[in-house]
Amino acid sequence: MKILTTVKKVVDVELNIQVKEGKIVQDGLQYVMNAWDENAVEATVQLKENNGAETTLVCMGDSESTLMIRKAYAMGIENGIHVDDPLLESADSNGYAKVLKKIYENGDYDLIITGKQAQDTDNGHTGIMLAEYLDIPCVSNVVAIEVVDESQLAVSRIGDSGTEIINVNLPALLTVSDSINEPRLPALRGIMMAKKKAIETKTLADLELTLEQIDMQPVRTEILEYQAPSVRQAGKKFEGDAAEITAKVVQLLSNEAKVI
Amino acid sequence: MTKILVVADIKQNALKKGTLELISKARTLSENVAVVAIGNHIEGLIPELAQAGTDTQYLANDNKLEMFSASSYANCVIQAVKQYQAEQVWFAFSESSKATAPRVAARFKSACATEITDISIENGKVIVNRPAIAGKVYQKIQFNTSPAVVIVRAGAFDIDGEYSGTENIHNLEIPETDLRAVIQKIIQDAGEEIDLADADIVVSVGRGVKDQTGVDLVKALAKDLKAGFGSSRAMVDAGVMPHNSQVGQTGKIVSPTLYFAIGISGAIQHVAGMNGAKVIVAVNKDSEAPIFNVADYGIVGDLFEVVPILRDEIKKVRN
Ligand SMILES: Cc1cc2nc3c(=O)[nH]c(=O)nc-3n(C[C@H](O)[C@H](O)[C@H](O)COP(=O)(O)OP(=O)(O)OC[C@H]3O[C@@H](n4cnc5c(N)ncnc54)[C@H](O)[C@@H]3O)c2cc1C
Repeated sequence: MKILTTVKKVVDVELNIQVKEGKIVQDGLQYVMNAWDENAVEATVQLKENNGAETTLVCMGDSESTLMIRKAYAMGIENGIHVDDPLLESADSNGYAKVLKKIYENGDYDLIITGKQAQDTDNGHTGIMLAEYLDIPCVSNVVAIEVVDESQLAVSRIGDSGTEIINVNLPALLTVSDSINEPRLPALRGIMMAKKKAIETKTLADLELTLEQIDMQPVRTEILEYQAPSVRQAGKKFEGDAAEITAKVVQLLSNEAKVI
Repeated sequence: MTKILVVADIKQNALKKGTLELISKARTLSENVAVVAIGNHIEGLIPELAQAGTDTQYLANDNKLEMFSASSYANCVIQAVKQYQAEQVWFAFSESSKATAPRVAARFKSACATEITDISIENGKVIVNRPAIAGKVYQKIQFNTSPAVVIVRAGAFDIDGEYSGTENIHNLEIPETDLRAVIQKIIQDAGEEIDLADADIVVSVGRGVKDQTGVDLVKALAKDLKAGFGSSRAMVDAGVMPHNSQVGQTGKIVSPTLYFAIGISGAIQHVAGMNGAKVIVAVNKDSEAPIFNVADYGIVGDLFEVVPILRDEIKKVRN
């Protein structure tokens, strides 16, 4: 089985994020591998270890994205493709999906694994759109993958009324939930090896893609501006005798907030 | 005037509140609002959908559509979009919507926006607002293509009940099942009586409740309040609470009038799912827990002691 796994570099959501004049203040931001993509990498490496697979990772983004690829190498991915092109800066999910389509077509893969969404946009579109453009079956929000045979997987996804068990024919695309696994911490040896491994870097021109072909002329959606959310203020906090403070809070819920 | 197609959110053959919120809001933007209803034995929902404010109802009603399939559901929505020539397609937030909406957008060479909290038309373009980065920023996004496909955050719009429509049913073709991805079975989650997204009060448990005994203790409070019963991821991962009870960035976004966080630390990923609540009450024994930064009322204490008192006191003021 040949697996293509996608990874995105995202801003660390644990940090404070400031908005100024409609833009995110870049100073002091740090970037990490999208958490759901870590689950995708882990799922891929587990398939490799348990069933045998050839693993390739693709990451689109600036030069710092190579760190994401090295991390994936350290976790056990074998090959890495870095798509680095300033033209992609204002790409939306469609744009990314179209670039990935080309990568897929160049590689004869059986399976694509992506995180269910990216922590920076929280959209969850790219994988599903990619499957649509490739006309291959897609299962999203996957929490378990089992190999049935060379041409079929049995996967579980969390749907609205419970866990759905789905048999899916290859080639296919899966987007994985964070509940699927606990991503491994790379061992030191893996980290050292990862530093030496080659990364294939490509521009849009290398991939023979024009801006029209990836729906960026014009781009289908554009972010006009960012806004700071209205922050909740910390309210009243009560410490002391449990019976007393609890009664007090219930009184406030009734008389002040008028919600019970 | 812009044509809006609302995708009905149906669970166990009943209409979810979100559908009515969407129709109500759509009618404030346009007189042309249609709905598409997909499922099995759902023809009985049509009068309610008309009453809510739609004049055209697309219906895909067949036992092949009993279980959710993203490809079949997308196919039905696509047919309705084409027939109605919809310029906007609105989904209510659900896992099914998240799986379906991007397919519809891709098929029309258009785009999708998830979890929107507002929508308007400026200079002929659809503009939406939505949170991103776990709710730390909001984005204002413009669609340059049509139809604009959106998934609306639960509770973003109110039902005003000002408009009503008429029945005008169009039956859609029932799509063939996609044999490349066939659903074998659904392991149903333990049925909760009150849906989180619809609930006016939500009571959620975190790792602080420890185990089933703690869950039962807090569940009694939820029952008293006729509240939805939610969870942090920690308790879902521990296998104590069902997946569909998870509130947060990966789970459900709720915006009830009143939210109780019991034994929940207040991680950013959890807060992203509940900071739209009108009033937040937190019970936590750690006075430094981040949940107190967003709580309107914080009780620092042992939940095993506090929750029974909370129940008693609430009963008192309610009587
Ligand atoms: C990509 C990603 C997505 C995520 N998505 C979500 C999501 O959707 N939803 C979500 O909830 N989390 C999500 N998380 C996980 C999140 O980061 C936290 O790990 C999780 O919310 C913690 O759950 P908790 O508050 O129940 O547990 P903890 O953080 O362990 O907190 C338990 C709290 O209980 C208190 N406590 C303990 N005993 C008592 C007692 N007897 N009385 C009173 N208080 C007590 C403790 O003081 C503590 O504050 C996500 C994480 C990642 C990386």
